[in-house]
Amino acid sequence: MTLRSLWHKSPFYFFIPTLLIAFVLLLLLSYTIKLEEQIGRKLFTISTSDLFSITQNCASQVEHLLQAQSNYVEALKNDVTLQHRVESYLKTLLTPNIKYAYLVYKDDRGIFRFLSDASNKEDKAMINQKLDVESPEWFRIYEEKRPVVIHHTLLHQLSLTYLLPIQYDHQVQLVLAIDFSIQKIEEVNYVLAILKRGIIGIMVIIGIILFFLILQAIRLKDIRKNSFIDKLTGVYNRNYLQHYQDLIQLDDYIIAALDIDYFKKINDTYGHDSGDRVLTQIAQTLLASTREKEDIVIRYGGEEFLILAHMQRNDPNSPLNIIEKLFSTIQKTRFILPSNESIQLSVSIGVNLVPQKSRTFQEAFKLADVALYNAKSKGRNTIEIYDESGHKDQRSHLSLAEIKAAIEEDRLTCYYQKIVDVKTGNVSHYEALLRLFDHEKRIITPDKILPSIQGTFLLRNITQKVLSVCYHQLRLHPELFINVNLNPQDIIDETILSLLKTYAQDPWIAKRLGLELVETEDLVRKEKAKENLSMLKHLGYKIFIDDFGSGYSNFIYLAEIKPDFIKIDGSIIQKILTDTISFLLVKNIVTFAKEAGIEVIAEYVSDEGICEQIRDLGIRYAQGFFFSRPEPESSLYR
Amino acid sequence: MKHFILIGLLTIFTYAENYTFLVKPYQKEIELEAKIITEIAASSLNEPLKLFIPEISKLEKSVYAQYTTLSATCEDANFIFINKNVDEKSICRSKNTLYFTNNYRKLLSDERYFGAFFWNKSRPNIVFIQRRLQAHRIHLPSSFEQFIESIE
Repeated sequence: MTLRSLWHKSPFYFFIPTLLIAFVLLLLLSYTIKLEEQIGRKLFTISTSDLFSITQNCASQVEHLLQAQSNYVEALKNDVTLQHRVESYLKTLLTPNIKYAYLVYKDDRGIFRFLSDASNKEDKAMINQKLDVESPEWFRIYEEKRPVVIHHTLLHQLSLTYLLPIQYDHQVQLVLAIDFSIQKIEEVNYVLAILKRGIIGIMVIIGIILFFLILQAIRLKDIRKNSFIDKLTGVYNRNYLQHYQDLIQLDDYIIAALDIDYFKKINDTYGHDSGDRVLTQIAQTLLASTREKEDIVIRYGGEEFLILAHMQRNDPNSPLNIIEKLFSTIQKTRFILPSNESIQLSVSIGVNLVPQKSRTFQEAFKLADVALYNAKSKGRNTIEIYDESGHKDQRSHLSLAEIKAAIEEDRLTCYYQKIVDVKTGNVSHYEALLRLFDHEKRIITPDKILPSIQGTFLLRNITQKVLSVCYHQLRLHPELFINVNLNPQDIIDETILSLLKTYAQDPWIAKRLGLELVETEDLVRKEKAKENLSMLKHLGYKIFIDDFGSGYSNFIYLAEIKPDFIKIDGSIIQKILTDTISFLLVKNIVTFAKEAGIEVIAEYVSDEGICEQIRDLGIRYAQGFFFSRPEPESSLYR
Repeated sequence: MKHFILIGLLTIFTYAENYTFLVKPYQKEIELEAKIITEIAASSLNEPLKLFIPEISKLEKSVYAQYTTLSATCEDANFIFINKNVDEKSICRSKNTLYFTNNYRKLLSDERYFGAFFWNKSRPNIVFIQRRLQAHRIHLPSSFEQFIESIE
């Protein structure tokens, strides 16, 4: 896992190194405290060792001076000369660091009394004056008979006292005491404090940096969260999908693509506010029907949602149950509009149960989309499962890999179906129809190819291939007129446009190459597409609107596109003899087209009766099995 | 900004002890003195203590007041602690009043004082003179035994 992907997953991962640094610094601080104690001891030893030696010498001198006496205490009490000499020795010990130097003894009551004091007159103790000692350590010297160091914590002017025994006959008779001022220790402590404060300072800075890092990460997380949430519905949006699709484990989820049936009608009938309200309620229903922490709901288009239902290892059916549950919940729910009216809705759902068989999330998602397309084709309000194993023999669509391989191996071709002038019986145009040969040389029709490649670059490649084949045929057969089908995507694709511009350099080609537009609803929404169509017309191409009268192609688009031909949708033509509405619809289209100067073509003319009827209605051109089936290019030679 | 102030205050409080070093030890010394003097006075008297300290400072007053009742005048007091170089004549003399000093030499030279509390080699020292204790019929608890000196 890369640093980038870690950052994508959560910016909090970047705290780990910072916390690590903080931890190391804490260890360092703890080590510094221990080091401080050791350095303190060492510095103390260095700074006092000389003084201790000097004091030892002084004690030896005193001892040497008194060695002739058997009772040191009495000798000193009684001999003033001796007192002066001892005091002069003691005075040599006084320095800025040694505040007091004095000689004491312990009387029978266990009270320490002065025998000599090196202090100046004001502080000087008198002979035999009592000294109240602050520590029982003073008595230890009489037992141990060796020097004692007493560290003071309570006396604020003294840091330590050094006691030296002066013995006679292995008995401690006198104690030479020196009191250190706090100055020396303060100097040592000052150096150590600087070191300690330096480390604490670094810790505080690290702490502040960490604090702001946390603050920034929280803010970043909030901002990112907001950018991933769809403001209208409160579920994740397309940004979320784009950002995290590479991190989604395909074997952990099933993918369901959901589309609200006839959503456009809700917007058209009740207004966009109602549409928005419906979307919000659908999203709430989806959230309520899925598991909060396991499943993911994404709004990836206007009325399209994507549900990633988490798979349980011990219950592989549970995610599908969730999809079925939300489907039935939506069917049962009455959606409240802002006008307080309530409506019922249905949705179409395409499910990919085996996303782990796809290489990328996009591929897996595409297969769910294929299933959704099938659900819609079957009349909507249904769940369609894409399961590769179950659909292998009878599945409707080829996989992207299979289509890509077919293009690379040049297994794409065109079949041609005649468009006949019903008055003369002559062929006026041919419609070029995409065909693909599989490895067994079987012919695959576009309905098994196109749903898989919608929105992919393969669609463009296929259009390029079809245009190239047709161009070739038009050059070979100067008398022929051939139509090709174009998707809205093709009309805004620079490669396709460039190709058409190149072909149009020969006016005789452009005039004979008809462009049949499908899904014109999407086309008119794109300003660029309308501009390009106008440009193509200007270059000499004839524009045909395909499937006119069906869901996608209606009167309103005629004003936008200004076609040369309209092809009435086959589903209407098929019913023209049996259904009055279809008949009246065709009749009106013909009347309208005549007045608008647009030629009309009837599709799916399958028998003579239909042919007679359309002829009676004044439709000039017809296409269908009654005249010919789509045939290979060899038919063009006949 | 709020966070900066908070962090700043925390740092200041962490090192707060460092900023009080000038006052704290001094006050501690007076506190110790006040405790010892009131303890000695209370042990020496058979009546409630009314302490008088000549030329008492504000700080001393505030500290001593925590432990005992201070007398505003020398005459009203039954225990007088002289801890400064004051004019001896200005101090009232009364037979029933106990006098205490903070100077060992004064203790030795002036019969008025029955004891002294003073700092000797930076250590607190207490001395009572046995004869003067007896003269004043003072019976100290045994815990004071080690401080009693039979100086003549």
